[in-house]
Amino acid sequence: MTEPSSSYSLSSKKRPRSPNDNGEHPLDRDQICPSLEDNLTFNDTMIALQLMRTQFPKLEKVVVQPFILQSQLYSSVKDRTQVDRDLESFKKDKVLRIFKLSSGQDDHAIMFLDDYLKQVAFAIKRSGGKEQDGSEVFDWFEKYVIPSKLDVSINQLQLCSLLSQGGDVTDKHITLLMNAGLLTRQLIDPNIYWFSIPRIGPILKGLSQGRKEILSLLNRKKYKGMLLSSLEKTKLRLSPLDTRFLIRDLIGSGQIKTVQTPTGLLARITRD
Amino acid sequence: MWWEEVRGRERGELRAGRFQAAARARRAASLALSNSKEFATPHHGAVNSLQVDLTEGRYLLSGASDGSAAVFDAWNATECQSGFIAKHKHILLVDKQHQNGHRFTISAALWYPVDTGLFVTASFDQFVKVWDTNSTQVIMDFKMPGKVFAAAMSPIATTHMLIATGSADVQVRLCDIASGAFTHTLSGHRDGIMSLEWSASSEWILMSGGCDGAIRFWDIRRAGCFRVLDQSQSQLGRRPPLLKSTTENDHIDSLGPSTSTRSLAQKRTGNSKKNSPTLRKSQKLTHGPMQQRLHPGLSSSQNRATSHYGAVTGLRTTKDGMYLLSSGSDSRLRLWDIDSGCNTLVNFEAMRLQTGKPLQLAVTDDPSIVFVPCMASIKAYNIWSGTTFRTFRGHYELVNCCYYREQDQELYTGSNDRQILVWSPSTPAFTEMEDDEKRHGLSAADEDNWSD
Repeated sequence: MTEPSSSYSLSSKKRPRSPNDNGEHPLDRDQICPSLEDNLTFNDTMIALQLMRTQFPKLEKVVVQPFILQSQLYSSVKDRTQVDRDLESFKKDKVLRIFKLSSGQDDHAIMFLDDYLKQVAFAIKRSGGKEQDGSEVFDWFEKYVIPSKLDVSINQLQLCSLLSQGGDVTDKHITLLMNAGLLTRQLIDPNIYWFSIPRIGPILKGLSQGRKEILSLLNRKKYKGMLLSSLEKTKLRLSPLDTRFLIRDLIGSGQIKTVQTPTGLLARITRD
Repeated sequence: MWWEEVRGRERGELRAGRFQAAARARRAASLALSNSKEFATPHHGAVNSLQVDLTEGRYLLSGASDGSAAVFDAWNATECQSGFIAKHKHILLVDKQHQNGHRFTISAALWYPVDTGLFVTASFDQFVKVWDTNSTQVIMDFKMPGKVFAAAMSPIATTHMLIATGSADVQVRLCDIASGAFTHTLSGHRDGIMSLEWSASSEWILMSGGCDGAIRFWDIRRAGCFRVLDQSQSQLGRRPPLLKSTTENDHIDSLGPSTSTRSLAQKRTGNSKKNSPTLRKSQKLTHGPMQQRLHPGLSSSQNRATSHYGAVTGLRTTKDGMYLLSSGSDSRLRLWDIDSGCNTLVNFEAMRLQTGKPLQLAVTDDPSIVFVPCMASIKAYNIWSGTTFRTFRGHYELVNCCYYREQDQELYTGSNDRQILVWSPSTPAFTEMEDDEKRHGLSAADEDNWSD
């Protein structure tokens, strides 16, 4: 809940959009925050991940540890195959975890492992805490399931067998896990549980609203494009998320492409 | 520099094979809409399938949505317009007016691999028909239980002449031309089958991609499928890393049995593919009611590994039989190493693929470029790095199929706008001089004795 004010001075590239911001001098902000154009691509996956983690938008109502969307990573590192391979090796080294999101096809979120554990602890506290019946399942989950199952999903049988290393597993335990938001089901397959980041509902909603809004904004223009620098500065009506966050995501998923012009980068809707 | 390569060949520095490969690669890199050749398509519906015959590489067979199939001669034109654009008209056309023709969309039309005397068409009217090319008559037909989406025949088969057909039904059926009956029914998929491909290295191995997102490998001499490709099994790099320790050995072994006899000695359940080695012990200790002891060569239908988060719409193997490309309705294209069964994690840049229809992909023979129909254009990707090499825009509507003819390095594409377009290597107006500093900026015509 209490965001340390050091985060504002931490990375000069942060531009949070919450109302707390109004006190800051707009002049300072422009001077110290380099625009998206200058910082669009990196060569190293880990550097890109860490930088984007610091740029994660801060919302005043929702407290979420920073996560990065995979499409954002694609837009910021040039070689996509290298990104995939690096992510795979980081995953195996248990530095980060990948989650499949239910907003749209093939959306994945990447979160550093310690951020994830903090988020899990927060979610457990909010969903009823440790006094509930069967709450030892949370410990089993953290101790047995998270370190050994590194994929995005797990099937029923494996889940039960991993949890039973701690004790007897009943349906009530799995219900608790789902209520806390640690596991979800998706429409793809009825037998598989998907790992998920708990309590990010408002952010996902903001994500899909924001995507729609930016795309409709560009579609209404005559040539379906707008300078990236002015796009970054527009405030979105429906979504509390940072415009930069959304632009990176749209570029990475291929719905917006950037074209170099003499006046800077232009963002345009891709037509095929 | 092209002339350097020619010189090298003259002097014997460059071997013939290399020279040929370099020439082909150069031509493939310069593909553009052909300004010397076109096909006059007689179809009144979207072109769904294209194939050039495998024996000579001369005749192009196309199947369309209005139930018509046509054959074109790709070498000799039927007429030349003002000596410039060669127009190729169809030599043969079978359509709804034909006595035994198909009544609905033809989804796949393929040549008999041995010679051009027969061709096979598969259609949404639930029939697969075998035609005699010379007399244009139906010799044989096979009735399937649902709309047929895909059909394939093995290009290297010497002992069998089976047509593998995949329909909206969950089973893959193999139809035999020699006997006129169904020889095999392969079950394992949980939903319809959209794409089929025979292996390029073994005449007994068939790969099928289903609407449930799974790609299964079947050896038709045995029962059941022996491998299901899982997108979470991945390897970094083109080939799997060399085995260094025993744990690594175990992990790679658990991915899928090789066809050696070693696999018979190891016991594995269907679900063990996803376990890491340390977990397998605990898995065996807690026997759930659903675990069955299976023949180690089988992969049961309980293996729900998916290779795409959607339906698998297209499959293509490389000519050397080592890699498999699959396109899915989640708009991703994946490259699989067939031997180890792993996803090579090559990321083909953002594309949007059609979701409801089977797509036909094409790969160059030295596998370097893959052609994918993406909405109204065809994108060519570098197969190892995944970067977009070229985008071919020319069709007015969604493109369904593409076929690359290696002999002349031509690409044929068919789309919903009823056209078959030809993309051929573009010849520059004068000889190339890309890196030549001497003639930089001057064309050959401008040179004279005083140019330096």
